[in-house]
Amino acid sequence: MKKSNFLVLALILVIAGTVTGCKPKEEIKEVTLQWPCIWVGEDSKAEAVAALVEQFNADNAGSIRVEIEAQPDYDGYEQKIRTSIAAGIVPDVFTMKLNPTTKAYYESPLLMDFSKELDMGWSKDFNDGTVSQATVDGMVKSLPYEVAITPVWYNMDLLKKAGVSSYPKTYDEFLDTAAKLKAAGIIPTSQMTGGSNAWTSMLWYSHFLASFGGKNVYDNPFEGDAYVKAAEVLLAMFSDGNTSRDAVGGDAGVSGGHYLAAESAMFINGPWYIGRVKGDAPDVYAATEVGPAPAVGSNSGAMIGFLQTNFAAAANADDPAKAAAAVKFIKWMTKGENVAKISKQSGALFAVKYDASSIDDALQQKFIEASNNASFTISHLAGVVPADVVSEFGQALGKMALGEATPAEFVEMLKKVNNQ
Amino acid sequence: MKTLLNIFKWIILVFFLFVALYPLIWLLLASFKSSNLELQQNPFGFPDQWMFINYYNAMVKAKLPSLFFNSIIVALFAVTVNLIVASMTSFVISRENFKGKNIVFTIIIAGILLPIIAFMVPYFSIIQKFKIYDSLLALIVVYSAINIPISVFLLTSFMESIPVELEEAATIDGANFVQRFTKVIIPLSQTGLATAGTFCFIYAWNEFIMALLLTSSESSRTLQLGIRFFTSQFVTDYTAMYAAIVITIIPSIIIYFLFHNRIISGLTAGAVKG
Repeated sequence: MKKSNFLVLALILVIAGTVTGCKPKEEIKEVTLQWPCIWVGEDSKAEAVAALVEQFNADNAGSIRVEIEAQPDYDGYEQKIRTSIAAGIVPDVFTMKLNPTTKAYYESPLLMDFSKELDMGWSKDFNDGTVSQATVDGMVKSLPYEVAITPVWYNMDLLKKAGVSSYPKTYDEFLDTAAKLKAAGIIPTSQMTGGSNAWTSMLWYSHFLASFGGKNVYDNPFEGDAYVKAAEVLLAMFSDGNTSRDAVGGDAGVSGGHYLAAESAMFINGPWYIGRVKGDAPDVYAATEVGPAPAVGSNSGAMIGFLQTNFAAAANADDPAKAAAAVKFIKWMTKGENVAKISKQSGALFAVKYDASSIDDALQQKFIEASNNASFTISHLAGVVPADVVSEFGQALGKMALGEATPAEFVEMLKKVNNQ
Repeated sequence: MKTLLNIFKWIILVFFLFVALYPLIWLLLASFKSSNLELQQNPFGFPDQWMFINYYNAMVKAKLPSLFFNSIIVALFAVTVNLIVASMTSFVISRENFKGKNIVFTIIIAGILLPIIAFMVPYFSIIQKFKIYDSLLALIVVYSAINIPISVFLLTSFMESIPVELEEAATIDGANFVQRFTKVIIPLSQTGLATAGTFCFIYAWNEFIMALLLTSSESSRTLQLGIRFFTSQFVTDYTAMYAAIVITIIPSIIIYFLFHNRIISGLTAGAVKG
């Protein structure tokens, strides 16, 4: 009896459903984007980026959801992206440094080409020239996002203590300043040969290259006098007490640490370091001025600037909804007002046009001025040579600093790797 | 002369003891320092102030307890799977005679010499194809597989040192192939199993790059990834990171202390004939 009741009820429901033509509402499928993100944990942009992602998810609830995969270890992150792309699997959204090694990603059809979207007006949101820097063979498979300039940081309190009233603008002035600093027991410059790219010293070298070789110095890498002359000056930085004893083998913690501890008077790094100095060494922060490196060659006032981070996405050719969602999210992240929030919190500079008037950090303003006052801007060396050369730089520099190689041999070592 | 030699011997021993222990002591002291700046200015001395908060930060910020749990699960299951596969393989190689035995053994053992970086793309593809990316299972499978060559090498040497007569006696008593393995060889191979298992455990506990590659969410991450939480592209909170490292090395030390006698005897099994 019970069974027959159940069958009747089921039949009635089926008929009713058929007659009324009721269908369950077609559910809109939510698109989920995975973003392996380096701006997490201790990173100065972490909080602002997380808030923007949260806001985006709230605004697009039910249709798009962005999930951050925390990747705090940058070297590991780069390794993961390389392996993923080699295996034919591209993250939905990710960031990368555009350099000769990563430009190979452009050959992959798995990466989205933003050209069409940019042609439809999006390109106006970016600073002049930045999109062209990210264009390879007419394709824009990564969008310029974070940019950086790396001027020399001068601790004016230490310079004054040594009897120097302004930071040196020529090589002779630098040597004079260094002598006075040493006499006062202060280390003139922070240097390093360790880390994956001898970052601080590589930047010093890039400044010297700009001064000797001008804006076209990278046209023929390691050819011409500029490279050897710049190496001679770099060697001088490692000689006669012009840097700390632990510079050979030291990493970014060593070079930055001496500056933070007010032990060294000159140092090079990008604007992302502002937050660190402000937090860890407020006196040093207050005393810091930034400017070009001393003109060691015929060109003065040059600045080292580069695309620090680009946005990229999977092409998702078989999933247009996902591709569209990725574009929508990246457009959100490149919106001027959103970029301003990240910039204000972190001190970072961006390739996107945004209202910088809300930025009230004094040192960040000095960075912007230094950028505006530059006679010309070129990339750092690591941005224009393959990864193998970047790895070799620290090794070769260590040899030169220890007296095992001359400046000409130093250049020859890099040239050899570059030509391989 | 003998006294001089003794003094010299002790100087050498103390020197190497210092070299071996100093990094651990340094790490412990560094984990209690107040900031990166103190670490820079006073790298070798005692902390100005003992910052136990670094350990609290390590536990809370990096969510070490849940990562600890994940690491234990991954390491224990990886060891179990590894030992099951490796012991069966070693039993056949050490006890059975078949054509191509030496070639099979050599091919397996050759895996010890391959750098881990060579496996990255293949493992990434396999794990994606199996749809187990971002799971503890992915790490268990990979860690147990990577350690098979070294485990087979150790266990084969060990099993070869067990007298064949014991198996022959078991056969006369009616034991079949499986029973010879489970009732005779496995109980007598405990030292070898402990050695191979310890190696596998320490590898699974300390491994970083595969864990980074094959997982993405917090729920499937291990301790080694948690340690990196204190680094970023430009800034590293070294003191909290060192505190996290101190916490994570404790289980490895405990495992080694518990099994060190077996590890040594397992490693030397088959080294001396007679």
